[in-house]
Amino acid sequence: MEPDDIARQLAPKLGDGLLSVEPFPGTAGRVRFRPEKALDLFRSVRDDLHFGHLSMVGGIDWVDHREVFYVAWSDEAKQYVFLSTDVPANAAHIETASSIWPSANWHEREAWEMVDITFDHHPDLRHLLMPDGYTFHPLLRSFKLHEPEELEVKSRRV
Amino acid sequence: MTHGLWNLRVKIDGEMILDVDPEMGYLHRGIEKISEDRHYNEVITLMDRCCYVAGFSWEHLYILSAEEALGIRPPERAEYLRVLCDEFQRIGSHLMWYAAFVQDIGLMSPFLYGMRDRDLVLDLFQSFTGARMTYEYMRVGGVRNDVPSGFTDQCRKVLNWLTDRFVEYDQLCLGSTIFRERCDGLGLLKAQDCVAHGVTGPMLRSAGVRRDLRKDRPYSAYDRVDFDVAVADGADVTARYLVRMEEMRQSIRILNQVVDWLDRHPGPVLADRLPRWLGAPYAPIGNEGYLLKRNYPKGVGFSAVEEPHGEAQAYTVNDGGEHPYRVKFRSPVFANISAARQYLIGYHVADIPPIMGSVDVCVGEVDR
Repeated sequence: MEPDDIARQLAPKLGDGLLSVEPFPGTAGRVRFRPEKALDLFRSVRDDLHFGHLSMVGGIDWVDHREVFYVAWSDEAKQYVFLSTDVPANAAHIETASSIWPSANWHEREAWEMVDITFDHHPDLRHLLMPDGYTFHPLLRSFKLHEPEELEVKSRRV
Repeated sequence: MTHGLWNLRVKIDGEMILDVDPEMGYLHRGIEKISEDRHYNEVITLMDRCCYVAGFSWEHLYILSAEEALGIRPPERAEYLRVLCDEFQRIGSHLMWYAAFVQDIGLMSPFLYGMRDRDLVLDLFQSFTGARMTYEYMRVGGVRNDVPSGFTDQCRKVLNWLTDRFVEYDQLCLGSTIFRERCDGLGLLKAQDCVAHGVTGPMLRSAGVRRDLRKDRPYSAYDRVDFDVAVADGADVTARYLVRMEEMRQSIRILNQVVDWLDRHPGPVLADRLPRWLGAPYAPIGNEGYLLKRNYPKGVGFSAVEEPHGEAQAYTVNDGGEHPYRVKFRSPVFANISAARQYLIGYHVADIPPIMGSVDVCVGEVDR
């Protein structure tokens, strides 16, 4: 499957919700879409393009906005497809994919606690790897790791 | 197979399981976050710790995506060496699983057989990497060093020994009434549920789905070796046992071909003309030291490998800086555990150890 095939099949269903389909290393292509049309896109990718297996959901913090990406696999085409969309950093939310692909459940929980992206209508959005009540989002760029400390070696008087 | 690093909250009615909720995170070290502060070759150290019984597979996964992001190709001998590492690692991981799993269901002696034979594989690893578990052997652009002389003969000895052991393994398990009564028909997970919940690897193949990234989307030298995909159709704990045993036999088949190839094709194992910053990140260049501005490339890399537990994926984003901008890993066990409701509800409390054992949980890669 080529990026053009994907664009041809998705365009009638999504209209202006589909931004572009570009080549992406190791996959059939990268589909860029508007977050408002997320559910339509997921349904179309699963039912029309037959990418029945969602492998991964994750987020990237680009400081001025956040990117949510999805990787799905098709047993017919034996290929991955990469879906990605941008959400604003001050209102980072998108519809959950777990109603289309149940496997999105845990991946979205992780993306929420790590990159602070809220998944609307998620069945069970709570902490997964971090303890309950943890208020930070470690994979944001604003979350700094400690710099390696330089220890001062004091000369000892003999 | 990890014990004690995660919780399973179980809601029961008498002996019957009504609901389950796995609690993860006790081993979370923030590997994805630490990677953002490290040089490309320094991330390899972390990958070994992702899954400590399958370190090579995770190194390979990361290396493939980093090479894609940086636009570097390894020499052919390095690709074969990586396949050798991966397949020996698969045998080692499956033997570790075998040893721990059968002990969980009450058979003591197979544990000793499994660990004894896994040690032979670890001895081989030690002979060319110097380490038994955390290897740090693969590099962006190839592997660290070639194998020592006489290594291939040693490999053949180990492979011959392992080939004859499967009759013994099967007699100890399939021939045992305890094993059959505790495993047959338990933990059913049909093919459509596997796909919907993202389950991959031996669990998916035990439901009759012939899917293996080594065949469907070959990487390294897997398109140049001959092997079959192990499948079974029981979709239960016994079927998962059968798939893993067959996978080890197929790994031996691959390894015999790889070892022969290595004998016939000497050559370099690390790409020449690697960018200078890749070899020694903090070594000074000229008088400017490491403050010198270097040309880091921009790009993204996506890779997927068939790890002993299933499909692992890595996504490396590289914005032209000294470190990866973002690294995201997909752990197969993460997805396999997330489907726990599907294969645990409706069984009895005493069925939990064999069912969860058959998932082959490695918490290191779930929590990362």
